[in-house]
Formats: sequence, C-alpha cells, structure tokens
Amino acid sequence: MTYIGAEVIISPLGGTTAENWAAMQANRSGISLVKQAGFDNADLYLSKMLDLVADFKFEKLISDALSAVSENIDPAILTSERTIVIVSSTKGELDKNITDQFGKSIETLVSRFRLANQPIVLSNACISGVLAINAASNLIQAKVYDHAIVIGCDLISGFVVFGFQSLFAISDQPCAPFDASRKGITMGEGCGAVVVSETREIFKNGALQLLSGTSANDANHISGPSRTGEGLFRSVKKTLESNDVAPEEIDFICAHGTATVFNDEMESIAFDRIGLTNVPLSSLKGYFGHTLGAAGVIETAASMQMMRHGVLLKSLGYKESGTSIKLNVIAENIPSKPVTVLKTASGFGGGNASLIIKSL
Amino acid sequence: MSLITTYCHLSADHFSVNGELVATREKDAADSWFKQIYKEQEIVYPKFYKMDALSQAGFLASEVIKRVNKGLASKYQDDEIAMLFANQSSSADTDLRFLHSYEQNGAPSPSLFVYTLPNIVLGEIAIRNKWFGENMFAVLPKFAPGFFVDYGQIFLSTGAKAVLVGWLEVMGDQIEVFVALVESESEGGMDFNKHNLSKLAGLSHA
Repeated sequence: MTYIGAEVIISPLGGTTAENWAAMQANRSGISLVKQAGFDNADLYLSKMLDLVADFKFEKLISDALSAVSENIDPAILTSERTIVIVSSTKGELDKNITDQFGKSIETLVSRFRLANQPIVLSNACISGVLAINAASNLIQAKVYDHAIVIGCDLISGFVVFGFQSLFAISDQPCAPFDASRKGITMGEGCGAVVVSETREIFKNGALQLLSGTSANDANHISGPSRTGEGLFRSVKKTLESNDVAPEEIDFICAHGTATVFNDEMESIAFDRIGLTNVPLSSLKGYFGHTLGAAGVIETAASMQMMRHGVLLKSLGYKESGTSIKLNVIAENIPSKPVTVLKTASGFGGGNASLIIKSL
Repeated sequence: MSLITTYCHLSADHFSVNGELVATREKDAADSWFKQIYKEQEIVYPKFYKMDALSQAGFLASEVIKRVNKGLASKYQDDEIAMLFANQSSSADTDLRFLHSYEQNGAPSPSLFVYTLPNIVLGEIAIRNKWFGENMFAVLPKFAPGFFVDYGQIFLSTGAKAVLVGWLEVMGDQIEVFVALVESESEGGMDFNKHNLSKLAGLSHA
C-alpha cells in the first residue's frame, strides 16, 4: 500500500496548512484586484502572495514547504538515501534566470537540507502536480525509492500573465469555475507539498491511502481542450480500472475547473462519459486561482484536508450550471466524510492526469 | 525484457539514425537546419512550420524513428506508446523569444506563448500520431540514464508496450538531441539499461 500525508499549503490564504484550511472553510478567496498587473497596465484579479518578499521567491517557497513537511514526518526521511524529492513547476525561478529556471533553486535545496538524491523536476504544464504525485507513487511501488516528497510551486510573473492575456484567457472577474457566467482563468501563485511513502508510521498526523493514477494525452490540440474530453476520459477510466474502483465508489471529485468556457465544458463531457455526473464536485480555483504547475499538489493537499476535517468545500464562484452536461457542483459547504476522492488535472500539450485518495 | 530497438541523434550539424548519417547541415542554406531536414526527408506535415525549435527537434526524431521501424504505427494500440523526455533548459529557447515579443516588439505573441512549456513537444508528437498514452517531461541538470531506465520501466510495467525516451536540449545553436525507442516485445535490440543508454546517447556530459 502507498501512503500519503504531511500535506502543506502556502498560498495567499496563509503561510501554513492550518491558516489555509481556516480560510478555505470560511470560503475566503485568495483572489484580489492587483493594480497595473497586466501588460496594458490594466488592473487584474490575481491570487497573489502580496506579502512575499524574497530575492529568490521560488527558492524560498520550496524551502519553506520542505521545512514544513519535515515537521510532520520522521526527520530521518528527509536525508535518507531512499527518499526522492520531486518538484512540479512550469516556470520555476524564470524571473531570475530564464535559461536555467530550476538549477540554482534545486542546488540550494539539496545543500540546505542535505538531500541524498538529485531531485527530479517535472514540467508538464497544468498536470505537473498530479503527475508528480503519481510519479512518486510509481517510483515507490517499483522499489526505486521508499519515500518521495512532492513539492509543487509556481509564481505569478509578467511572463505568464502577459501570455495568458495574449490568449484572451484571463477573466475580468474572479474566476467562476463551471458557472454559466464564467469568463476565463484567474492566475494564482503558491506552493504545496505532500509526502508519499510505503511506510505509514513516518507520518506524525496520520496518513491517507494513495491509489496511483495515470495520465493520457488528448492527441488533439496543444493549447485547446478536446471537445470530447478524450484524454481526461481515458485517464480517469484507466485510474479507476487499474485500482479496481467503480465510478459509484467515488465520493468527491476535486476537478481541474479552470473556468474557461472550453475547459469546464470538456470536463463535464468527460465526467459524463465515465458516469460521474452525480458525484459532488468542486474546483478550488476560486480559492487559489490557477497555480499552474503547483495546482495539482495544492489542490490534492486541500482535498486531503477536506477528508481529514469532514467537510466538502463549495466551489467558490459557482451559482448556476454553465456546462452542457450538468455536474453536481457543490454550491454550499457539505459536512461529509468522503472515503474515496478523485483528483484530476488537464493542461496545455494535451495532458490529462488523475489520481485517487482513500481514507484509512 | 525490454530492448532499445531504434535510436537517433540530432546535433547542430548532423542528423543520424542507428548511428548512420541521415543529413548534414548545409551551412549557407536559407532554411533553418530543422527545415532542411524536414524538406530533405520529404516529410509532409504542414504543422511543422508552426512549431518551435524544441518541438521540431522531437518531431523530426520521432518521424525518422518511425520510418526505420516500419511496423511501429500498426504494432501497438493508440495508448500503448508512452513518451519520456527530459532536458536541462526547459523551453528557454522559446521563452527568450516570447520575452522579446513583449519587451522589444510591443506585444506578447500568443503563437510563441503556447510553446513556452517543454511538454508541448509531447503534445505535438501525440497529435501527429494520435497517441493517447502517458507523457512525462522532466528538467534535469544533465542527461540521467538512470532516470530514463527507472521511469521507462515503470511505463512498461503499467500498460505501455513501447516508450520513446529522449534528451531534447535545444538552446539557440546548441543542439543535443538523443531519442530512443524502447520496446517490451521485440526480436532484436540492445538491453534497455543505464550502460547501453549512456553509451548510445554518447552525450559529452553523461
């Protein structure tokens, strides 16, 4: 069995997991109007860590996340030769060194925490985080390592903001995933971490079970989602089947839900094809914005918090169904102890990934 | 047993498959080096012209590997070929061009922005071949044969029957591309292990 725990969230909602949970449970959003953040000096809604002051922000965030993780596991795990650190990110420290976006930060992490193995950086657009957690599980099951610390981190930079502006993908309001009035994404930044291990005892605050997931490409378009949801459909189907889980057993879906017209529509079609339309579902983009390579880790960590605290959080920004297939989007927080939770992600390059977490 | 059945190298001047030279760069040609290969090899796929250099490199390598491995397209189901690529500088070559578009040329270019992720090359190859399998792109300080062997074997033990593994480093004129096809059911080839992969790659820093 593979265990997952020691989840960490650092976001505009707070510097600790507890602060983030308190804010989320109160349905507070990290999104605010940031003056002159756009290419045209337009004010933009962003989920930005406004008080983050550091010369090397990416390096600081992944270091802070690793420190926070180390407080929740057996301390010997961090420096063990049987431990791998996997970082998921799209642009790393791009603002500091565009031709080597990860090198220095990772080197610093290795020396500061005396890591035994060279960390792996996974950069697969918006599915990076879910893919990284699955990679952690796969490497442990294959006995390559016994433990993996997965850190997802991405920052808001002019580079990504201007890029998404150029695609007309950014909403002029805080994002509203799956809602009829949705107009696009809200960029976010932050860092999440989880520990994946074959040993339950290393977790000080208890562990959940990770059922390793799968990924599938849409083979359709590099920046537009498949109209039939083919890749997401295949990924979720494979994840369910390879773990012998029936669609009826899923208690909650933490969807990708970017709040673009086409993405949310695609997800509704894919979930319908699998028989998941009635399962309670949320997108957490209304809390954290779209944190790109960090999203899968932050949102998995947040889902784990929901499982531990027994509350399914409402999908912030959702009022009225805006997809051709009506999903069971959660409009008010629901006290509930979900046993089996599905996390999905979809992104540029046609990638789709999914995983399952179970209560123990 | 999994075997390396085909491999290809692309450098700043040479393009070879299974160690045999396929094309040499024409220094004075008007076309870029990758376009020269595309034309000379008579590949017909107009989307090639829209791709950034990293995607073009991966695309050319995958095309020539398919060409010498004729049964590849029909031998496997559409989700049985996985892709596992890595490099050192991510999509920096295109990132610099995109940065230039808004810092020097007045407006961020959407057609460049969509290539500012290293995994887009995986999407391009998936689209070309209608491959729905698993994809992964890693950014590593140097070519790491252990990473490819460990994770390639994981793909092969979790549903894939073939994996394209590749180091795709493209940064301006510095081009260091090595792509290999690993198959789990094959007649001939070299054992897919660190030693063989490292030897075949022949990359200076490996």
